[in-house]
Amino acid sequence: MRKQITLVCAVGMSTSLLVTKMKTAAKERGVDVEIVAVAESAFEGQGLEKVTDVLLLGPQVCFMAKKLKARYEPSGIKVEVINSRDYGMLNGDKVLSDALALMGE
Amino acid sequence: MSKFSDKFGDGLNTVAAAVDGNRFLGAIKDTFSVYMPFIIVGSFATLLNTLLCSPKAGLAQFSAFAWLSTISPAFSAVNFATMSFMTVPIVFILGVHLARKSGTPDIISGVIGLASFISVVPSVVSITDKGATLSAAGLSGTVLGAQGLFVGMIIAVLSVGLFARLFKIEALKIKMPPSVPSAIATSFNTLIPMLIVLCVFAIGGIVFKNISGSYINVAIYSLLQRPLEAIFQSAGGIIAIVVFSQLFWLLGIHGGLIISPIRNPLMAAAIAANTAAVAAGIIPNQPITYGFWVTFIVAGGAGIILSLIVAILVFSRRDDQRMVAKLGLLPAICGISEPVVFGLPLVLNPVYAIPFIFNSGIATAIALGAVKVGFLSCNTVDIPFGVPVVLNAFLGFGWQGVVVQAVILVACFFVWAPFVLVSNRVKAGE
Repeated sequence: MRKQITLVCAVGMSTSLLVTKMKTAAKERGVDVEIVAVAESAFEGQGLEKVTDVLLLGPQVCFMAKKLKARYEPSGIKVEVINSRDYGMLNGDKVLSDALALMGE
Repeated sequence: MSKFSDKFGDGLNTVAAAVDGNRFLGAIKDTFSVYMPFIIVGSFATLLNTLLCSPKAGLAQFSAFAWLSTISPAFSAVNFATMSFMTVPIVFILGVHLARKSGTPDIISGVIGLASFISVVPSVVSITDKGATLSAAGLSGTVLGAQGLFVGMIIAVLSVGLFARLFKIEALKIKMPPSVPSAIATSFNTLIPMLIVLCVFAIGGIVFKNISGSYINVAIYSLLQRPLEAIFQSAGGIIAIVVFSQLFWLLGIHGGLIISPIRNPLMAAAIAANTAAVAAGIIPNQPITYGFWVTFIVAGGAGIILSLIVAILVFSRRDDQRMVAKLGLLPAICGISEPVVFGLPLVLNPVYAIPFIFNSGIATAIALGAVKVGFLSCNTVDIPFGVPVVLNAFLGFGWQGVVVQAVILVACFFVWAPFVLVSNRVKAGE
């Protein structure tokens, strides 16, 4: 099945900037992966917990990491906070590499 | 970092995790992120009503479009259905979110919260006309609209909480033979807890009314909601909240999200009060709305980041800073500060800490001052996050809003500028 990376932050706006860069990076590398950004509060409402393989948090919501890890890691979703410098520099390529590494690919 | 700032940082991190992990605050936050778009849509209906149907200022002033004024009640209806009626859907959604966090049936809990709320408020409306008091069955605007918000949220939290507890008690479950489909068993098993919850709240409501002489919604509005609104709308109150929120941003934590469970209900009440005031022909007097927040308090990103970007592009000779500034320019125009906050970075950056913490407070003071002298009107059109500067000010506050926003951006540019120069010297000295 196609792998999915989901990014969450407060309203899903600043993460969507990064998603665009990550999609470009994935295309250049020829990696087939679905990448989306949503507000943290909308994650379950959109049923994303069922399809997500890696859940990445914007550093501004890093305080949610403990809660989200406890909730989703038992069902096999990898949960990680994005490196804040990569996030600020919108380094889609690096964040994609980290996410793929989490999936073990 | 010194020990003091370590402790300070740990403290704020604990607060952030506690607010986020708190079931009630978390549910309120989620509820408003569902409902805020409806409030914005409702306020846009007001805008369309003016632009299209007003015979004085709108399209309807031209004879070819005069018919537009006849459909004006439709836009008022959209506003009523979303804004003047907000407490009903908000109480329901809050019940749903609370139930999801405690693992009880969510839709049923939403209805329980709503039914419990309706059971404690007057179900008769009375009007006095020429000395005669007439009454009829119905719910008053003070129950359906923003004035019922806090009592509604409190009743939802208590009733859904009680339901969740009762729901888990085995003794209250009706035993069914195993051959009965499980869906039927579930529906019966909710009946006894539901009956108990609704009776407890209805009786509680009537006992409160008999002892105190007033309905609980009236009491909670005047004892809790109105004082909170007054603090939130005061210059001292809102500036303290804004600075508190920026302290989180200094640690790289989304401050607006942390304060949203208390901020968003009060902002929803404010825009509703302004809309009601305009409809009644009174001057609106609640400045701190969501539109005010995105247009002025966090103009160009929380901490007035757009001004910092321009200051860097003008004064900084550091290539690393100029690169981040260019990268962050377009997002900052739309109010997104993260590329600069994490890229520069501003997080735990001692050189920029003071302007980063206080600029949004300065912006608040400038905009409130403009309201105070009568230059800027309190808005009735709320603006969603992400609308570019200038446009958001114009849509929400007219040309006066654009002027005030420009003053804020320029003032904060001068606040950032010396710190940009210092950061260049720090780098040169390294």
